[in-house]
Amino acid sequence: MPQYLVAIHHPDNYDPSLEGEAMMRDIDVLNEEMGAAGARFFAGGLQPAARAKTLRAQPKAEVLITDGPYLEAKEHVGGFWILEAADLDEALAWGRKAVVACRAPVEVRQFLEMLG
Amino acid sequence: MPQYMVVNYLPDNFDPSTVDEATVHAIDVLNEEMIAAGVRLLVGGLSPASSAKSLRAQPNGEVRITDGPFLEAKEHVGGFCILEAEDMDEALAWARKSAIACRVSGEVREIPYSSLPSGTAHPSRQHERKP
Repeated sequence: MPQYLVAIHHPDNYDPSLEGEAMMRDIDVLNEEMGAAGARFFAGGLQPAARAKTLRAQPKAEVLITDGPYLEAKEHVGGFWILEAADLDEALAWGRKAVVACRAPVEVRQFLEMLG
Repeated sequence: MPQYMVVNYLPDNFDPSTVDEATVHAIDVLNEEMIAAGVRLLVGGLSPASSAKSLRAQPNGEVRITDGPFLEAKEHVGGFCILEAEDMDEALAWARKSAIACRVSGEVREIPYSSLPSGTAHPSRQHERKP
């Protein structure tokens, strides 16, 4: 069965302490539903993008490491699921629920390959 | 042990047919090394960002779906590896090898909450772990 990345995005000034009980419950219910459907392969929450480290390949196999996220954007991935779904429509249905539960915009992309 | 995500970024016009045999071999060798070290939990390669769909909540409570990636950028995530490491320095050492093997730029982010057996449950899930 195809696997999909369902990634939620947070603004860089996102404050997790504002996540209320209702949101925690909604996320919990969604995870239960994904688990019961056998769809959930992985769920993870990331540290704020400000604490990311970026690596840029340089000539001669050197690598330059800098603080902060790689992409210059005002929002970054805050967490994601890897889900198994019959097709893109089914993955989008989960993505839709993720938007509602996490109060955050979502991107859905299919994996070409997944090595467990 | 903390979990980290090592992300590789690809330009949106990336052509997979330009990846030469030496690169494929270097990636293979790195994967073998990660497996031998017992650090590699999960590896995935994504379809091109142009095939992504973006979902945004609307003021009326509906969710609008559009074609294309969510972030407006010229590069997007091409794939990633989730690994276990003692600390950020050890994760960066693997990311450095990954950047060299894959000939691409990347990023390392810690994953404080993970559903993997060795991970810490998200606050919404922590009731599961109570005795």
